[in-house]
Amino acid sequence: MDYKYIGKNYNRPDAISKVTGESIYLDDVRLPGMLHAAILRPDYAHAKILKIDTSEAEKMPGVVKVVTGHKVDFVYGDNIKDIVPMAVDKVRYIGEPLAAVIAETPWQATAALAGIKVDYEPLPVYVEALDAMKKDAILIHEKQEDYWRLPTLKPIPGTNVANYFKVKKGEGEDGFTEAEVTVEGEFNYPFGSSAAIEPHGSIVWFKNDGSIECWSSSICPFIIRQDLAHAYHKPVSEVRVHIPNIGGCFGYKSDITVEQTIAYIASFVPGRPVKWVATRKEDFTSTLLGHGIRVRMKIGAKKDGKLVAVKSEVFHSGGAYADTPVNVTIGATHNGVGPYEYQHALLEGYTVYTNTPPVGAYRGYGHQEGQFAVERLMDILARKLEMNPFELRSMNYLKEGKRNAQGELFWKTNGDMQGTADKIKEAVFSTPKPKEDDEFIYGRGFAAIMKSPKGAPFSTKGCYMKMNIDGSISVNMGGAEVGQGLRTVVKQLAAEALLVPPEKIKVYETIDTQFSPYEWQTIGSMFTVQGGLAILRAAEKLIDKLKATAAQPLRVEKDKLIYDGEKIYLKNDPSVFLTVSDVARGYIYPDNGMTVGEVAQSVSDARLPRYSNWDENGQGTLGVQYTFGAQACEIKIEKKTGKIFIDHFASCFDMGKVINPKQYRGQILGGVLMAIGATLSEELIFDEKGVIENPHYFKYKLPTIKDIPKLSTVDALENPGEVGPFGARGVGEHPVIGVAPSILNAIYDAIGVDFYEIPVTPDKIKAVLKEANS
Amino acid sequence: MTKSITFTINGKQKTVAPHPDQKLLDVIREDLGLTGTKRGCDNSTCGACTVVLNGKAVKSCNTTMEKVDGAEIYTIEGLAKEGKLHPIQKAMSESGAIQCGFCTPGIVMELYALLNANPEAEEKVILNALSKHLCRCTGYEAIQDGALLAQKLVQENKMK
Repeated sequence: MDYKYIGKNYNRPDAISKVTGESIYLDDVRLPGMLHAAILRPDYAHAKILKIDTSEAEKMPGVVKVVTGHKVDFVYGDNIKDIVPMAVDKVRYIGEPLAAVIAETPWQATAALAGIKVDYEPLPVYVEALDAMKKDAILIHEKQEDYWRLPTLKPIPGTNVANYFKVKKGEGEDGFTEAEVTVEGEFNYPFGSSAAIEPHGSIVWFKNDGSIECWSSSICPFIIRQDLAHAYHKPVSEVRVHIPNIGGCFGYKSDITVEQTIAYIASFVPGRPVKWVATRKEDFTSTLLGHGIRVRMKIGAKKDGKLVAVKSEVFHSGGAYADTPVNVTIGATHNGVGPYEYQHALLEGYTVYTNTPPVGAYRGYGHQEGQFAVERLMDILARKLEMNPFELRSMNYLKEGKRNAQGELFWKTNGDMQGTADKIKEAVFSTPKPKEDDEFIYGRGFAAIMKSPKGAPFSTKGCYMKMNIDGSISVNMGGAEVGQGLRTVVKQLAAEALLVPPEKIKVYETIDTQFSPYEWQTIGSMFTVQGGLAILRAAEKLIDKLKATAAQPLRVEKDKLIYDGEKIYLKNDPSVFLTVSDVARGYIYPDNGMTVGEVAQSVSDARLPRYSNWDENGQGTLGVQYTFGAQACEIKIEKKTGKIFIDHFASCFDMGKVINPKQYRGQILGGVLMAIGATLSEELIFDEKGVIENPHYFKYKLPTIKDIPKLSTVDALENPGEVGPFGARGVGEHPVIGVAPSILNAIYDAIGVDFYEIPVTPDKIKAVLKEANS
Repeated sequence: MTKSITFTINGKQKTVAPHPDQKLLDVIREDLGLTGTKRGCDNSTCGACTVVLNGKAVKSCNTTMEKVDGAEIYTIEGLAKEGKLHPIQKAMSESGAIQCGFCTPGIVMELYALLNANPEAEEKVILNALSKHLCRCTGYEAIQDGALLAQKLVQENKMK
């Protein structure tokens, strides 16, 4: 099919305001009478609070108020209500809000923190899920069973396990009796940070009219609105949340993160807005972390390579509050076994309270942690079976008529796993591998991947559009632009649907819950699919209204009319027409000004069809809109230093329809490099006291321009999906999923050593090379 | 006692009396209201706060106000003239180099200093300059493309 405006490159509508510094981010918002907050973090990761003395701080220059948790009378959370906005009688992680100073300037607020004295009684600290699960471990939450939680969630009372999730297909673990060969391993994807260059920040204003107004660097304004309304006993309509431009998200600005804390602090100074922006250290220690997932996986197969059974145990060090990690664990459990069919499966996920900052969404949402294990094991199994790993995978790929571990039936419209694998095999493996030389050893590795849009059955995205009197269009939605380029996508999709050039489409610039159409939250790579569908539906309604209005002066039934973007004309006589300008605000009769018809505006929304909660065996339609893909790399290992260089990284996804090829490539390259960081250098390191040793960019090493692959291949298949607009699928998170396993498979290919844990640093490589030489 | 400090910024003379704890970034953002310059970290690693001071790209978050007395400063707000983008801005905005945009002003100012001083800079020199900036979105390829296009446009502009 020929499209006019999609499948082509258009520049981002926000590029110019971003390159001139005119783009407003949270820290750029200034309000009259605004005060500034600084937050005290504890000296211990787990301790009883015996006494907080704020008297010195209160006397310091510029201080308006010193706040402690003594007035906290609620817990919050959207999955499990276990979070407090400020520590009450104990602290559970090193970055927890313990007290705060509100002052006239940020410097005064920070300086006054030194005047707060706290007495503690330290408690044992658990950093790892497996330690917190030990029989004699003390409870991080004494009465977790009392917390409200979604009815699908199951804690193990009297333990630190906040949730246990199980998927059982076929005979479960008993299915291994049919296996002739088994492989297993324990894999670790350690703590990391989304580490967007813009740190978290929030402004909250308890206004004298009883309403609450909030600005935040968040992708979840409607969740913040609902949660603040609930906590402060207000109608939801009395809370207004603004989202300015966001300087990167990658997951950790989703869910409610810092807003309840800033609201609690601001509630002590009603009438004055209070602003808080995280330091980089706080962004690492006091907002959501990523990963912290250990997976024990076992796979059983027949001698010919046919997979029969899979067992996985996901141990998630979820952090001090389980509200945000719980669904990541579930995602890692049910999405963690890759794009393969197994007759039997037993998958178990444990979300465990630990004395670390809460883990939350991180680009990939559990997929990369689980599929790291399965894609490493596929290579290990192929070796054991003495099979070609591509053939082994091909025999078992999910495709039309197959069922995944949740029992979901796959359709042709779910895309072509084999096709993406073939493309990547051709791109990376069609030439001979370079031979070891004096300096380097070379290796190549592959990973097949699968991504579901981890969300919720009730997730909704809305779209409001209006046609203006000159035929230009304003589109308003609740989706958060974090850099992924959704404004460009909105522009192109609306143009295609309304048959008007993109230049005529003005896309919304900020979100304001007072005016923006409802959106659950902008997560799970779902915006193009769901938001796009909402755009198509709204466009259809708008065109229908234009026709209904035109039908009156043209004295014809509306289904006899054709709309072409500029005119509405009679099907069998195009010379009889009205322009869109004639009917955009109703048709105004030229002789007497009488007006008929409706203003050309419409509203619509979209969810994912068939999306359901799971049954007691984790069976159900938990994914619906899957995307398949493949990734591979060519690496070289420097013998002297142990450093890994990526010579080539290739990715291919079955996108259904690529809306903007340039943005697609940008999205893939960004995701791949982020995951190269996780694989080779990034890890948040905790000492045994639960203190983060490297909460700074100069110690937590993000890749720089010097670390990018020498060559990057980005390819796509376009087998249309049946949900998204014009067959399109999402891609935001996908490129991170296969990076770690493909690189670790390449390391084995190069030096014959299996790694089960990332990051694989030069020191670790040097150690194994030294061992091999001795 | 705070000492008053005078400098020109984007061609205009300013005098400020900063608090001793305030660095150049704080003065630019809080006292002068020029919020295009961003803060991304606590210790001059990320490059988001880069401005041009006496022709050199510096990280304003660790630049003391004493160093600024009598200096000539440019920030991102000083580049576009009469509604027309600077060639570096044009190149970056058209090459896919911008996603979230938070690192963008710092990178543009880095290139502004470099290409003013050395319009013929070798690619290696440009890459070294870019390696002082963290971007979490793009994977850098498009930033590299944008920087090389910027150099081309700056050179063409000089020939005109």
